[in-house]
Amino acid sequence: MMIKIRLLFLFLIFACSTSAAASMEKLQMGVSVDLVPVSSGFSGQDIVIFGSIENAEQAPLYRGEYDVIVEVIGEMEEAVVRKKERIGGIWVNAAAREYTGVPSYYSVLSRNNLGEVSDLSVLNNMGVGVDNLKARPVDRGNIQEFLTQGEFSSALRRIRIEQGLFSEDSAALEQLSPSLFRATLSLPPNVPIGVHTVKAYLFRDGKKLDEIENSFQVRKVGFERWMYDFAHNQSLLYGIMCVFLAIFTGWAANAIFRKN
Amino acid sequence: MSIYLPIAEMSVNIFVLFGMGAAVGFLSGMFGVGGGFLMTPLLIFYNIPPAVAVATEANQIVASSFSGALAHLRKGTVDVKLGIMLLVGGLIGSTIGVYVFSLLRSVGQLDLIISILYVVFLGSIGSLMTIESLRAIKKARDQGGEVKVKRPGHDSWIHALPFKMRFRKSKLYLSAIPVIVLGMLVGVLAAIMGVGGGFIMVPAMIYLLRVPTNVVIGTSLFQIIFVTSYTTIIQSTTNQTVDVVLAFILMVGGVIGAQFGAAAGHKLKGEQLRALLGLLVLAVCARLGYDLIITPSDLFSVVGTADQGAH
Repeated sequence: MMIKIRLLFLFLIFACSTSAAASMEKLQMGVSVDLVPVSSGFSGQDIVIFGSIENAEQAPLYRGEYDVIVEVIGEMEEAVVRKKERIGGIWVNAAAREYTGVPSYYSVLSRNNLGEVSDLSVLNNMGVGVDNLKARPVDRGNIQEFLTQGEFSSALRRIRIEQGLFSEDSAALEQLSPSLFRATLSLPPNVPIGVHTVKAYLFRDGKKLDEIENSFQVRKVGFERWMYDFAHNQSLLYGIMCVFLAIFTGWAANAIFRKN
Repeated sequence: MSIYLPIAEMSVNIFVLFGMGAAVGFLSGMFGVGGGFLMTPLLIFYNIPPAVAVATEANQIVASSFSGALAHLRKGTVDVKLGIMLLVGGLIGSTIGVYVFSLLRSVGQLDLIISILYVVFLGSIGSLMTIESLRAIKKARDQGGEVKVKRPGHDSWIHALPFKMRFRKSKLYLSAIPVIVLGMLVGVLAAIMGVGGGFIMVPAMIYLLRVPTNVVIGTSLFQIIFVTSYTTIIQSTTNQTVDVVLAFILMVGGVIGAQFGAAAGHKLKGEQLRALLGLLVLAVCARLGYDLIITPSDLFSVVGTADQGAH
């Protein structure tokens, strides 16, 4: 309910502000939530990204010549990719490559196929799209490389796609009116914890006119957060608690079943 | 109903885990074994990361061994002195084990070593158990009576070792060296494989140390409580892989299942029980071994920093 009221309110602001006159096209954007709480029942969540195109030329706007791409990027992390080889009849992790600057989560939402919005080379330079993601292999002097290059990089990209952590949806963005858009993002149950950056780009005739950034946070809350922090910050105390819990459970079972 | 495991960082079905705990508890109650060697592979088959499965299982075994040891303490079938000597070795072994565990994990070979150790131990113990019990069943049929487990000859090299100690309860005058070494081996296994180690310790105590059968189970449970408690704490501080929510679900399922299993166990004969357990152990071994040999569906694997819990 809160989200709906908030959405409506922001739509109204955007709708009003679009009529203001100025020379440059501008993009406005909001996210339906600041915080995605991960608690015991978490099984993914839908979030809504909405916004408006402002100061657009009216005729092209109504012809639908403006286009918007929304990117959602998780925190950058390190990742190790390992390849198994058969050694003495058994499959063993043999070669490995380490990367830094790998987004923990990446999703692109658009109304049209990315290729229709702009030239692939433009998107390529911007690093927009699952095919244009880059990371830095540690053994190559931290020089950025496309994740479509080389078998280890491709494997990283492919596995993250299979896990639902890298995705592209060219039907997730709806145009509500010529100037208002809304994109729905379905965060998977395994969405990484951390700050997720939301970026929106405004295009016309394949040229980027404006971009805007926002963010939301995925965070463990309540019991899960407390437990995780406890296990990591007070690990000795946590271990002792685990042992006492086990002793108590063993004792309780013994006491209950002995009576029966 | 799904529940989010705070340390494993994944959603799992609480009823599946509870059922797994109860099923393994049933078997462990029936056969009089700890069940760690069944539970850890099951958790891995259920896609719990092996590092979490092993460390969490040590925590669960604290509960089941404590529950079992209480009954033995009441009956007076625990040789505390022997248990403490085994424990000395166990603590050393567990410390080494957790260190090796961290090392293997950092070089990406932990899962492989866990699988290989399981295949080797389950394979050899399962075969021995099955062969021995099938022989016993055949003999019982031929003679039409109960069979006694035969013990090897009296003067073995173990009894020639120095640092002898007297263990009153077990009526043994025995060197401390083999006791501590056995405890150490079990400690290493507890840390790397997530087992109590009863399946190694019990036969070793009977056949090698010649501890009387009536105090073997109680004494080994006594040692297992402390070694798995220690392992739980060391795993928590070194690797942060003990998931208390997962452990608690398994504990509750396990202790309940064990009660029913114990009742069912009374209806079967000893050698039939051992034959069934032997076959079960071999089945788990075959499944793990198969996974090592067949070409994996994906040759590549990815580990992110978030997955390793390093911050």
